[in-house]
Amino acid sequence: MFANRFTKTVFGLALSLSALVATQASADATLDRIKGRGKLTVGVILSGAPFGYIDPKSQEQKGLNVDLAQALADSLGVKLETVTVTPPNRVQFLQQGKVDILIANMQYTEDRAKVLDFVPTPYDRSGGAAVVRKDSGLKDWADLKGKPVCISQGSNYAQPLIEEYGATIKALPSQPESLLALQGGNCVAAVHVGATVGLLLQDRPEDWKDYAIPFPTELIPSDSVIWLRKGEKDTQAALDASVKKLHASGKLLEFAKANRLTNTDFLQAQQKALSAAK
Amino acid sequence: MQNGTLTELFVRWTGKLGLNYEFLATGYEAQIWRDGFVTTIYLVLLLIPVSLLFGVLFAACLTSGKPWLLAPVRAFVEITRNTPTLVQLMFSFLALNTFVSNLLGGAQHNPLTPFFWVVAVVGLHVAALHAEALRAGIEAVPASLVEAARGIGFSRLEILRYVEVPLAFRTSLPAIVNNLINLVKLTTVGNAIAVSEITYASIMVWTQRDNVVELMLVILAFFSLLNFIVARIGKWVERRLAVPGYGI
Amino acid sequence: MTVVTAQRPAGRRVLRNIGLVALPAAILAWCLTDLSLGRELMQWLPYLASGFAMNILISLCAMVLGTAVGCALGILQLVPYRLVRAPIVSYVQIFRNAPHLVLIFATTYIFPFEIVIFGNYIAFPDWVKAVIGLAIPASAYVAEITRGAIQSIPTAQWEAATGLGFSRVQALRWIILPQCLRRSLPPWMNVLASITMGTSLASLVGVHELLHAATDASTAVRRLDFTVIAYVVVMAAFFALCYPIGRLTRRLERRFLPG
Repeated sequence: MFANRFTKTVFGLALSLSALVATQASADATLDRIKGRGKLTVGVILSGAPFGYIDPKSQEQKGLNVDLAQALADSLGVKLETVTVTPPNRVQFLQQGKVDILIANMQYTEDRAKVLDFVPTPYDRSGGAAVVRKDSGLKDWADLKGKPVCISQGSNYAQPLIEEYGATIKALPSQPESLLALQGGNCVAAVHVGATVGLLLQDRPEDWKDYAIPFPTELIPSDSVIWLRKGEKDTQAALDASVKKLHASGKLLEFAKANRLTNTDFLQAQQKALSAAK
Repeated sequence: MQNGTLTELFVRWTGKLGLNYEFLATGYEAQIWRDGFVTTIYLVLLLIPVSLLFGVLFAACLTSGKPWLLAPVRAFVEITRNTPTLVQLMFSFLALNTFVSNLLGGAQHNPLTPFFWVVAVVGLHVAALHAEALRAGIEAVPASLVEAARGIGFSRLEILRYVEVPLAFRTSLPAIVNNLINLVKLTTVGNAIAVSEITYASIMVWTQRDNVVELMLVILAFFSLLNFIVARIGKWVERRLAVPGYGI
Repeated sequence: MTVVTAQRPAGRRVLRNIGLVALPAAILAWCLTDLSLGRELMQWLPYLASGFAMNILISLCAMVLGTAVGCALGILQLVPYRLVRAPIVSYVQIFRNAPHLVLIFATTYIFPFEIVIFGNYIAFPDWVKAVIGLAIPASAYVAEITRGAIQSIPTAQWEAATGLGFSRVQALRWIILPQCLRRSLPPWMNVLASITMGTSLASLVGVHELLHAATDASTAVRRLDFTVIAYVVVMAAFFALCYPIGRLTRRLERRFLPG
């Protein structure tokens, strides 16, 4: 039994040590490394159009996330490398340094801002939309009290759904699984980024004919921002300038339209504001 | 855990060691995490009898010698043994479940929960492993013993119930305990379909914070403990059931 | 055992081989009845195949690494020094009892993504982390198998070897190990099958393997029947890989084990 405890301690130390190495490896200046390698590594999420998906024909990555990542890489004058992330692993991938930045449907929250830094200029604004069965009779967020609701693991909708609306959360590895779970009847609603599920219902009307997005408001609408590791001020500044430029030139709006983003009001307003400021 | 002070003390003390257990002092994350332990233990306690029951049932079918019983069970055993449990679980939860929903006329009538699917998939998977162990045990029962039982007038079912299964259970007990340890480990796949066992609960915590190492240490210790208990109970049962002069 | 074999009906042999054909045949039949589904599947097959190649790669690497480490640990478990034995015994106990999934999570999220050796950055991709995550339990199992196999050789053989002038290492190399190999091959193959199936867990940490590829494909296609068939394809692929291993294991067991 002593030996058992002994190795547990040793193992713990080893793990902590490797974690330490991990943080040290990622603490050096990211911008220099990006330039040095000539490559920007971006974590993108491929949970469905319009933000990120695999094109069925060419099996290439497409979507607003990918376009934005490409534009940022171009503006830094480096090549783009994308890494597919999922909600449960994206923060770890960033922390480990596997990716330099995250463009992964992640909205600003106070809790996230405690562990990560972000590019102050948002590239979109979105909140959660709930897909529910048409005959369920659910009218608003408050109706979800005590009901099972599907989300993605690592989604920022967990906290408001639990704490404000008293829903029972069922978190699945990614959005497709969550939506299939909804169709299978394992939850009454699936809550995901509004634009994605909106487009899904529009694109596959026959599969989703019994479902709708009936709630009048979006859940915690907040700014979608690019996330980076804590303390990387130079990368943050460089990317912020690039995002501002993309807004002002109307490039971002173009990407959004090309990727069929349903609601571009926010981007239009941003473009106006930023091109006026120039 | 009754009062907050103990938790606070723990958080502060581990914080000094560089370990971040701050979430224990928060509301819903700590709750999810504590429930995770309970759910895992509950799953294990439920799955052990379920797997044993179906294991005996499958073993009975496999040794029955009737092709119509043997063929489907053998097919099931082979498929479940040779495909990953995670894939079976995803398949059951995403495909079979929808099929059941359609059969019942809509998802709202479907009473099957993710919890049910984990119990079904893991339970039957381990049952298949039990069945193989028991089958080997049953086949190892001396033919003379079965002959003798038949001579006294036991029916086929009675032979199974009173002669073969008790003896086979004893010879295959080490293999069964091994399968049960496997079972404890397999409960973790539940996180893929939102069953709130301990890995799921930990994912919920570490995706919002940055404390994988801390949670990992606890999970590893927890599973070591669970399996230590299972192995100990197995050893105890083995000793209790030992028949002098039979088996190894 | 021969009696049992003789009792087996001929139908059983057909049944055993049908396993390999049945699943692909079902997939084919389904695709033929719904041609649009078949076309969709054909389009995605190369993508799925690239995922499956990753599964095979991970499982092979994990087994090579796990076997090498496990054999060493298994032998070290038997050295007469307590100080050497104790940490190894607890390593084996902890990691034999730890869920594969948890170890994969641990290695993926805790190890750095690259290692610095003499100022050079060496990439440490996730699939390698998955390899280590699976090699850890594999090494623990192999250590147990090795220890069990060595212990199963009667001590009289050691004594006889010493009597013939073999040193301890020589006896191990020329007399004990060849016998151990035969005894440990079937359980080792069980570990191989279990680790091969464990590779699908890597999908949960984002390694591009078969299950991950199937999820990607079904996200892109967004058809319920395609999702179902994609998972059936995944099952068929693993079955085609693991079933022959299992069959061979049982053949070897019957050949090697007494009784």
